[in-house]
Amino acid sequence: MESEKLYEITAYTENQVGLLSSVAGIFTRRSINIEKLLVYPSKIEGIHKFKILARTTEKNARAVVLQMEKRVDVVKAFYQEDNERSFMEIVSVGRFLKERENKQ
Amino acid sequence: MTDTPNGWMLKGSQILLESLINQGVDTIFGYPGGSIMPVYDALYDYADRLRHILVRHEQGAIHAAQGYARVKNFPGTVIVTSGPGATNVITGVADAMIDSTPVVVIAGQVASAALGTDAFQETDLIGMTTPISKWAYQIRRPKDIAWAVARAYYIAASGRPGPVVLDFTKDAQIGMAEYIRKDCNFIRSYVPVPEPTEASLAEAAAMIDSARKPFVVYGHGIILSGAEKELAGFLDKGDIPAGSTMLGLSALDSDNPHYTGMLGMHGSLASNVLTQECDLLIAVGMRFDDRVTGTISTYAKQAKVIHIDIDASEIGKNIPVDLGILGDAREVLAELTRRIKPDVKRDWDGEKAACDAVEKEKVIDPEVSPAEGLIKPGEVIAAVANACEGKAIVVTDVGQNQLFASRYSRFKQSRSMITSGGLGTMGFGLPAAIGAKVAAPERPVCLFVGDGGIQMTIQELGTIMQDGIGVKVILLNNNWLGNVRQWQELFFDGRYSFTRMQNPDYEKLAEAYGITCLSLEDRAEMPAAIAQMLADDRPFILNVHVAEADNVFPMIPPGKSVGEIMLNDKDWFVYGK
Ligand SMILES: Cc1ncc(C[n+]2csc(CCOP(=O)(O)OP(=O)(O)O)c2C)c(N)n1
Ligand SMILES: [Mg+2]
Repeated sequence: MESEKLYEITAYTENQVGLLSSVAGIFTRRSINIEKLLVYPSKIEGIHKFKILARTTEKNARAVVLQMEKRVDVVKAFYQEDNERSFMEIVSVGRFLKERENKQ
Repeated sequence: MTDTPNGWMLKGSQILLESLINQGVDTIFGYPGGSIMPVYDALYDYADRLRHILVRHEQGAIHAAQGYARVKNFPGTVIVTSGPGATNVITGVADAMIDSTPVVVIAGQVASAALGTDAFQETDLIGMTTPISKWAYQIRRPKDIAWAVARAYYIAASGRPGPVVLDFTKDAQIGMAEYIRKDCNFIRSYVPVPEPTEASLAEAAAMIDSARKPFVVYGHGIILSGAEKELAGFLDKGDIPAGSTMLGLSALDSDNPHYTGMLGMHGSLASNVLTQECDLLIAVGMRFDDRVTGTISTYAKQAKVIHIDIDASEIGKNIPVDLGILGDAREVLAELTRRIKPDVKRDWDGEKAACDAVEKEKVIDPEVSPAEGLIKPGEVIAAVANACEGKAIVVTDVGQNQLFASRYSRFKQSRSMITSGGLGTMGFGLPAAIGAKVAAPERPVCLFVGDGGIQMTIQELGTIMQDGIGVKVILLNNNWLGNVRQWQELFFDGRYSFTRMQNPDYEKLAEAYGITCLSLEDRAEMPAAIAQMLADDRPFILNVHVAEADNVFPMIPPGKSVGEIMLNDKDWFVYGK
């Protein structure tokens, strides 16, 4: 068995009604307990940020992130161990949105 | 086609229908009720542009839409009322999600002022369908309709397809708005078709060039991306054998020399043995379902694995991979075909032929050409396949009928196998066959269904009657819930708990619906009966009394590896022994 750790899982989303339950549902299906959940406007205008603390395996954390990203209104999702701190996320989301705008 | 000018003031219900037409919709499967009545009222004036097929139960509507979508390569459209109408489609939404089938469900909803009050026929459809749909959205304002419909069809059909649910409040149906035509081919947070990286393509080509015994396992993704030709070309140039998942069936011609048969629990010996023998497993547009892999821990352990899929969350989900390639199967296969070397010497040495010989003697001959006894299901399927020369669209229900049909049907053309794979929904077959026939009226549609499954949606005989839909129903009547009976025999000490089933008189039933029905018991009469069934384009039920206790083999029992295969009640084939 892979060991469980505390992971910080973040998702950057369009503000769409119902996203909270859909994000929570992805954890429920794999019976992962959410220990903390925060939803607030991110530093990018119009983009919301979900911050979720959950104890699980790395395999599950990765699977959850990919399944969140699969939802139409989720821009990007990330996971990291709780004690790591990354400032790269917001840069990466900003770059993604720029690229998408150029594609349109 | 539509000549309604932009900017006209229309009722929400009319905007919905204009928007559907604008998306290219020409057929709706539906059932009316209180909170969708304004839409039905508007439909009355659109009968020349939108064909509405009135089903007998909303589950029938969504399965018909699935059959339609799978054959037509265009989203199926369902309109139902709120509450029970909406909850009746839920099985089909889940089925469409797991089998990546594009459908758009438009359900009535109580007026927005009444939302959350437990009003008559109010249910939280968005809450119920969010986890089982690609997108679920509530339309509460007439001005949002055109936008929501355009987005719905784009999401349903693009990337990895799936079901979309639009919950449409009654006030939005009645209210007026300017109709402004909308199309959608971009959502910034949604990347339906990721681009494969140069590095992954280069690495894959090198791995394929240096493989001695490569093997391809492919699935529904080949059909969804229209990669049938590219797959065949790739197999030719690389000289690589290939096995199909159940949903991948018909993507390759059954006679393609590289084709090794279906994978998994009831697949061919060759496909499962090659999985355990190959040094490189190349998976394309498939998701390593447990019915394909058997016990994961022993699956293709000896091989390197390349997984090509459009859905990032599938790569590495069940099987650890050496290389994942994100992208559209058609593009990736075309690109890999360009890059791999021609005439690479492989070390495959008659493994497939050896497996096929064992399977023919131990499994196929006794099932398809028995000398005596009652008619066997496999025999019926092979006879129908012969008579249709592999040109029919095969639809199945779930159970032994489905497994036999998957094993013994022959295909010449893609999109010709319509079955409920991931969810295994009994009752899928009859309505899905209706949808398939509506999508391709020029082709014969043969449904193989069990006596259990047909009774789950048998009310759709009424739809067949009213719309004269020429579906050929081949009822493999064994008086059992046969697939469960098989497991009880093999794994539950023959304790046949509630699987014996008494059947109605199908001839009388068919007569009540004005449908021709022929019952068949005698092998000698089978060719004439099948010829009679296929002689015209009218609906027909062939009620075949098949051997009651027949089992589907080969079988990889649950908990076994794909190399441990039962050939019949006594004999096993164990890979490496
Ligand atoms: C809706 C639903 N309920 C139950 C099952 C479980 N199940 C799978 S196969 C089967 C028996 C099917 O019997 P029948 O339709 O007669 O087909 P046969 O196997 O005899 O060909 C059952 C009950 C299912 N797949 N779907
Ligand atoms: Mg049966």
